[in-house]
Amino acid sequence: MRERLETRDTVGQPEAAEAGAPPGKDAPEGPPPRAAAPPRRVTWQKLTILPAFLLALLLATWLWFRGADLDSIARNSIADGNVWLRLRQHVVLTVVSTFFVLVIAIPLGILLTRRRLRPAAPAVIAVANVGQATPAIGLLALLVIWLGIGMQAALVGMVVYAVLPVLANTIAGLRAIDPTLVEAARGIGMSALGVLRRVELPLAVPLILAGVRTALVLNVGTATLAYFGGGGGLGDLIASGITNQRMPVLVLGSVLTVALALLVDWMASLAELLLRPRGLGAS
Amino acid sequence: MSFWQYVAGRRAQLLADAWQHASAVFQCMVVATLLGVVIGVLTYRREWAGNLAVTTTATLLTIPSLALLGLLVPLTGLGVAPTVTALVLYGLLPIVRNAVVGLRGVDPSLVDAAKGIGMSRAARLLRVELPLAWPPILTGIRVATQMLMGIAAVAAYASGPGLGNEIFRGVSSLGSANALNQVLAGTLGIIVLALLFDAAYVLIGRLTIPGGIRG
Repeated sequence: MRERLETRDTVGQPEAAEAGAPPGKDAPEGPPPRAAAPPRRVTWQKLTILPAFLLALLLATWLWFRGADLDSIARNSIADGNVWLRLRQHVVLTVVSTFFVLVIAIPLGILLTRRRLRPAAPAVIAVANVGQATPAIGLLALLVIWLGIGMQAALVGMVVYAVLPVLANTIAGLRAIDPTLVEAARGIGMSALGVLRRVELPLAVPLILAGVRTALVLNVGTATLAYFGGGGGLGDLIASGITNQRMPVLVLGSVLTVALALLVDWMASLAELLLRPRGLGAS
Repeated sequence: MSFWQYVAGRRAQLLADAWQHASAVFQCMVVATLLGVVIGVLTYRREWAGNLAVTTTATLLTIPSLALLGLLVPLTGLGVAPTVTALVLYGLLPIVRNAVVGLRGVDPSLVDAAKGIGMSRAARLLRVELPLAWPPILTGIRVATQMLMGIAAVAAYASGPGLGNEIFRGVSSLGSANALNQVLAGTLGIIVLALLFDAAYVLIGRLTIPGGIRG
C-alpha cells in the first residue's frame, strides 16, 4: 500500500517510481520526484466522476439488497441498525486513529530532522521498514491479547501501524527541502524556529497533506480488521457474512467498506489540491 | 508452555503453513509481475492509457483487502481462489505503476539512438527500454511482495492457505493458553518471510540491474 512519498500521482523521473507503492508502504529514499507532469488542479471531472460512481454503486447495491432473499440469520446480522452502527464505528476508528497518527508522526518527523537529533533518523527509518513487514492482523491480534478486547486495542494497533509510514514520509519530505532556501533564511537573520515555521513547514505542507491521505487510507483498511479484536467497524458485516455464508450481508459490508475507502481517499485528494500553498504552483 | 516450546512442538505444522504462505505469495507475484509489465508496456506510450492504468491501480489500492475478499467470495467461493485473485490484483498495482513511470522515464535520446542503429521496436523494448526501467519495476515488486505478505494473512479468514491461519486460530481462542503463542508464531513467521524475500530481491537487483545504471 503503501504510496509513497507521497505524491501518489507523481509521474516523472525514474525516482518517482520509488514512490509508487501502496499508501505508506515504502520508505522513500533518495531525492523525491520533482514536478508532476499532469496539471494538479481541481477539474470538474475530479469533482464529479468518483461521487457519481459511488452513488451508482450504492444505489445498485441497495436495490439488489432490497430484492435479496434474507433468512433469519442474515436479518439478524443487520437488525437494530447494526449497519449504521458499524459504519459509524468504522468512521470513528478511522478519524480517531488518523488524528493520533498525525499528532505523533509529524512532530516526531520534525524533531528527527533537527540538527541535534538527525543521527537518530536512519535507525527510525530502519524500524519503519521492519514495521512494514509486520502483518496488520498479527499486530492487532497481539495488542488485543495484551490490552484486552475492545476498541482501545484496535485503535492502538491502527495508530502503530500507520505512524511509521507517515513518519518516514515526513522525514523524507523535510529533508528534500532545498538546503539553500534554509541557508538563505538563516542568512537574513531568521532564528532556527523562524526558519522552521516560515520556510520549512510551508514548503512541507504538500507532504504533510499527503501524509494525512496516506494515514486515512491505511486506517480505513486496518479498521476492517478491528472487528477481530472486538473493535467493531464494517469488518463485522464482512466477517459474519463469511462465517455464516450469508452473501447479501457479505456483499453489503464489502460494498460499504469499498465506498467509504474511495470516498475518504477522494476527499483527502481534494484537500491536497485545495490546501497546497499557492506559491508551490504545479509542483 | 513457552513460545519456543510451542514452536518446537508444532514445528511441522508451522513449517507447512510458512511454506504455503511463501509459495502462495511467490506464485502470485510471478503472475502479477508478468501481467503488470505487459500492462505497463501496452499503455505507457499513450498519455491517456498510461494515466488510466496508473489511476485505476491507485484507486484499487485504496480498497481494504478484507472488503475485496468479501466481494470475491460470492464469485469464487472460499479457499484458494479468492486468495489467489486478491493477491494477484494487489500485486499488480505497484508493478503497473512503476512499469509505466519507469518506461516513461527512459531517456528518449537513448531510444532514438537504438532506432538509429536499426533496432526493431521489439528489440528496443527488450534490450533498451525494459532494462533501463527494470530498477523501478523491481522496487514495485519488492513493495508488492511485502504488501501481499500481510494480505495473505488476512486471506486466511476466507479459508486461504498460510500463516494467517495460525493468527486467526489464536484470535478465535483468545484467553486460552496458546492464543499468544499462535498469534506470535504466525506474525513472526510472516515478518521473517517478508525479510527473506526482501533480501532475495536485493540479491536479484545486484544480479540483474545492468552495471551502467546501478545507483
